[in-house]
Order: sequence, then structure tokens, then C-alpha cells
Amino acid sequence: MTSSSSPSRKALSKIACNRLQKELSEWQVNPPTGFKHKVTDNLQKWVIEVIGAPGTLYANETYQLQVDFPEHYPMEAPQVIFIPPAPLHPHIYSNGHICLDILYDSWSPAMTVSSVCISLLSMLSSSPTKQRPTDNDRYVKKCKNGRSPKETRWWFHDDKV
Amino acid sequence: MTEEEVAMEMEAVEAVYGEECVILDSYPPHLHLHIMPRTAEISSQQFVEAVVSIQAGSKYPDEPPRISLIESKGLDAQRQKHLMDIVQAKASQLSSSLMLVELCEEAVERLTIMNHPDGDCPLCLYPLFPEDGESKQMPFMKLMSCFHCFHCECIIRWWNWIHTQKEADSKSGDTKHMYRETSDQEGNSGSVDKSMGNCPVCRKVFHAVDIEHVLDLVGAQSSQQDSGLVQGEDKDPLLQSDSEKIRREWFEAILRTQEEKGGLVQPKKNISVVPGMYLPPPPPASSSSGQTQEQGEVEPKEAESETNSSSSTNRRGRGRGRGWGHNVNRRKQNSQDPRKPTMQWVQRS
Ligand SMILES: [Zn+2]
Ligand SMILES: [Zn+2]
Repeated sequence: MTSSSSPSRKALSKIACNRLQKELSEWQVNPPTGFKHKVTDNLQKWVIEVIGAPGTLYANETYQLQVDFPEHYPMEAPQVIFIPPAPLHPHIYSNGHICLDILYDSWSPAMTVSSVCISLLSMLSSSPTKQRPTDNDRYVKKCKNGRSPKETRWWFHDDKV
Repeated sequence: MTEEEVAMEMEAVEAVYGEECVILDSYPPHLHLHIMPRTAEISSQQFVEAVVSIQAGSKYPDEPPRISLIESKGLDAQRQKHLMDIVQAKASQLSSSLMLVELCEEAVERLTIMNHPDGDCPLCLYPLFPEDGESKQMPFMKLMSCFHCFHCECIIRWWNWIHTQKEADSKSGDTKHMYRETSDQEGNSGSVDKSMGNCPVCRKVFHAVDIEHVLDLVGAQSSQQDSGLVQGEDKDPLLQSDSEKIRREWFEAILRTQEEKGGLVQPKKNISVVPGMYLPPPPPASSSSGQTQEQGEVEPKEAESETNSSSSTNRRGRGRGRGWGHNVNRRKQNSQDPRKPTMQWVQRS
């Protein structure tokens, strides 16, 4: 499988387009708490600002998420990464890749950008410690060629955080 | 109107509705009527039901009886009120003539029109039942295993997608994990996997038979999908395909049947309408266009539905922070034990 820093550049299918327009308009009415969509004219790439929840290790910190949608969204999961600098978190690599099952094998087309954001914030909020994954350097090096996190075979074998 | 005449009317009501009708008082008439949509002999086509109280005073029928709702299922407050208002209006309109049977009929009629779930299709996020009267009504269905509802087109598209993916994966030697709840069955994949899926909303396992009736409508889809659905480009292949045209013709035929029958979804035997599928009701008699629907029912657009909030709220917090680790050579390596409990779907509390 070939890799590039952005996922497949194929244009969104009509179904994906309709669905994203719907998500966007619902987001504008009712955005998930702690998130701001940065307005662009690109439906296929969303940049979303995340503000750490009050009372957590990330309170008042601001990060940026980049969400790229594949041609067959929502059948296929979106690619969700933090634009570095990424939050220090045991499941977030310094290149912004996030180890969260719903972004990969556990994705379901009934999920939305909004529900993904809520899961992400909950993952951040429940972190007991600000640190990188233990294999951060090794992983980030392997991604040097710009591979997408969706091409990673993730293991989800730890349920502590 | 004599008391005797009213008593005879009550007997008529009892005769028509049998056990669905509980007489609390025979004079002045007071009864509770359990109503279900006319389509609901097939439970998969039932989305609403109600118990309505009709209570008359001693001046009945010169004074219309009071209509109230004792209980209901699948109707939010707005639709409950709407149902009551309509039946009450009918009562006023009929005052001074014996009207009980007619009122009961009106209630059933209205409930039948309202026989649809609230909320959006979890896959396309558009309403399952557009109330604005402008959007096109698409057929929807309900998974009998969990009662989640989807547009037929949407669930089929998704079903075909996962099965195409599955084939691609098995060709590349990569065992995928579509059926997390049944990881114990992954050993004998193949035939088992083909006939099963997980509900996109709750991941409850369902079997091909649960959506077979919908699949049948797209005819030879399975042979087409491998090449068809995955391409996509700018148009939806499902909508373009011949089988889809055939399917649409079927729906139109069913729609005509409904019109003939005055709104009853009672398809002829050789037409494919089957349990679990809902078809749009025909337009009221006054309209012949076949496009507009529910003209008679001017229902305000419903507020954010809570009854079918499948799309986002239920999933909050789900799947959060489960584990880490990776294997960079995703496609090249398939040495992982597929039964590893780590791949199971475990809901965190
Ligand atoms: Zn849909
Ligand atoms: Zn379900």
C-alpha cells in the first residue's frame, strides 16, 4: 500500500459529501463542548480546535485536530490526527497519531466527527499522566515517510487509560 | 337521541374492537381503546401504538365526548398532542350524531399515518421520516434484533460495503474483525461471516435474514457489488444500477396498491413488501401527484428527537482510550491471534 502524508486524495463520493454537509450543519448548531471547527471551504479536511477540559491535566491547553475524510466516508473511518505539537498522552504519538480503536478497527458508520471528538476528549480527560507512549520514538521514525495512522496495525490491549 | 340508541352504539363499538376496547361506563359512554397502526399485524412494521380514552357526558352526542391519551409508544409529546387534537376536532365536527365508531376509526387512521420512528437515519443523518413534506420519503426498515431503524438504501449500501471489504481482506490474507461480539466464532470464518453483520449503532449481531427482504429488493446486487459499489466516483452506483431501477418500480407498484386500498399497506402476495420494511404512505385522496405526502397532516417539524437518539448521544464516551501499541506493517503481517481478547468490544463504564 502506498503512503503519503495525507490519505487518499480521491474526491468525496456524493454520499460522503451529503453526509458531511449534514454533519457540518449540525455541528454549527450544536458543536461538541470544547471543540471549535475552523471554517474553511474544504469539506474533505476539517481542522478542529480542542480545548482541554477544566479540571483535567490538559485544562486550558489548546490543540488542533486534523480530520481527513476518505472517498467513502462514513463507510471508511476518517483519518484523525493532532497537528503537532500533540498533547502529551500515553496514547498519542509526537507526530500526532492517535491510538484509539474507534478511529480504526472499531469505526462504525453511525459515528460522526462529533462523537469522535467526544471520545477523544474523554480519552484526554481520563489520562493519569502526561507522557508519550513508550514506543514513541520507534513508531514516529517508522512513520517518517509520511504514512497514515490508518495504515498502522494498532493493538488495543491496554484498558487502563 | 335516546339512551337506548347510545347503548346500541356502545355495543357496536364493542363488536368492532373486541378486546381492544374496554368499556368503563356504558352510559354516558366512557371507553378506552387500544389502537395500533393498521400495518401492525406485522410487528416489525409497528413503530407506534396508543391507548385513547373517549369519555362522553350526559348530553352526548349533542356535546362531543372528551378525547384523551392514556398511554402511547413511539410518539413524542408533539405527535401525541397532534393525534388528540385531530380526533377531538373530528368529534366536534360530528356533534349531534352518534360518532363513537367513527372516532375510533379516525384515531386508528391517524395513528397509521404516524406509524414511523422519530429521528434520523444513523447512516446518512437525514430524517427517516421527513416531516417537512418536501424532502423525499425513502423506505426505511428496522432491525428486528435491536429495533434500530435505517433507510433501506443506507443499510444495504453499508452491508455491501462490509462484505466487499471482507472479501478484499480475505484475499489479502488479512483477517478482519467485523464481528467483535462473536470473536469466539472467528475460527470458522467465511460462511458464518457472510451472513452476519453488526448493527452500525449498537453493534448487536444480526443475521442476513434480518435484512434479506431488503437485500432481495436490489436483486442481483451481490454479484454487482464487488465491482459496482466500491467505485463510486461522483454518482451513487446503487442508485444508477438496473437493480435499483427495478426496485424503484416495485416500490411504485406497492405505492399504487396502497392507494387503491386507501392507505392500507396490504401488499399483494407477489409484491415484495415484507416484515421490517416500511413504505411511505400514499398521498391523501385529494392529491394524485404521488409526490407529496401527508398533505392532510400538517405537522410541525419535530424538535430534536429523543426517542431515537441513536446517532450520537448513546455513544458518548464509548471506545475511549482503549489501549495502545501498534504494528507498522499492517498489510504485510497477519500473525496476530484474531481471538486475542484485546480486539473485543468492551464497553467501559
Ligand atoms: Zn439513511
Ligand atoms: Zn442496533
